[in-house]
Amino acid sequence: MKKNEFVEQLSEYCEFENKGFNLDTQFKSIEGYDSLALMSIIAFVDEKFSMKLTALQLRELKDFKSLISLIGSDKFEND
Amino acid sequence: MINLEGKRILVTGASSGIGKVFSEQAASSGASLILWGRNQERLAETFNSLEGSGHEYQAFDMTNYALAEQHILKAVADGRKINGFVHSAGIERTTPLKASTPEVFKEIFEINVFAAFEIARLLSRKSIVDPAGASFIFLSSVKGKLGDPGKVAYCSSKSALLAGVKAMALELAGKKIRCNCVLPGIVNTPMTEKLFESVPPDAKQKIIEGHPLGLGSPEDVSNLICFLISDQAGWITGSEYIIDGGYSA
Repeated sequence: MKKNEFVEQLSEYCEFENKGFNLDTQFKSIEGYDSLALMSIIAFVDEKFSMKLTALQLRELKDFKSLISLIGSDKFEND
Repeated sequence: MINLEGKRILVTGASSGIGKVFSEQAASSGASLILWGRNQERLAETFNSLEGSGHEYQAFDMTNYALAEQHILKAVADGRKINGFVHSAGIERTTPLKASTPEVFKEIFEINVFAAFEIARLLSRKSIVDPAGASFIFLSSVKGKLGDPGKVAYCSSKSALLAGVKAMALELAGKKIRCNCVLPGIVNTPMTEKLFESVPPDAKQKIIEGHPLGLGSPEDVSNLICFLISDQAGWITGSEYIIDGGYSA
């Protein structure tokens, strides 16, 4: 999966209202980014990367880019 | 202290948490234990910590029901019947509904519900259960009565267990087998540590504050199970016991 596709698919999965997010979009600026969204991100990453993140880890993240770093950039295709 | 002399009790999930503490408490009260769990090392630790004699343990995947049956048949081969069962094994997942596919439900129900009923079915045979009577205890959860976001599969599994145990109690009363459910709130166990990793810190704080008497200890729940297993609870069946430090009040 490419990084931009990741942003798009994750946003779709979490059912964020707005569109057009990019790697630098701050999570806190997203309408609907709440505890249920955190659970959804954990479930999405587990489903796509077989990786179990904790809510505490996610709480520290600022944007999609830092989430990708946490998962591991090597797990993504080049854009 | 509750007297459990002469009791022979099968405990699932005996390698940690409530199952482990109950096993130790029951052994101290005179019972002999058959410990089941997945983790060989931790199960052996529980086994080695037990007072008294006549205990045994088997580390295996209890959803391998053919193997579970073999272990049960072997346990009663010497003529000693089983008169207690505590299903403490269970799994908890925080999964939003959108990720709760049938596979997620199957994984959770397999341990929390299907294994409980299958082992009870095997144990309730005349050739296995003590004709003088037996007590089966199932660890449900207060979440079997209350909802929680991200817990559709877990809550429904614990509710299914609760409903099934009531039906089982009526069906097995003729064999003098009592069946009851214990519904704990949040107890400090390894499973709870995993739960807290999956929820945001503010949600964790909310959960803790939701228990007016604080989070429980495995001993709090084990005390209740010991009573329900004992002959002192001889007129109790088909009942549910919430033990949650006031969480659901």
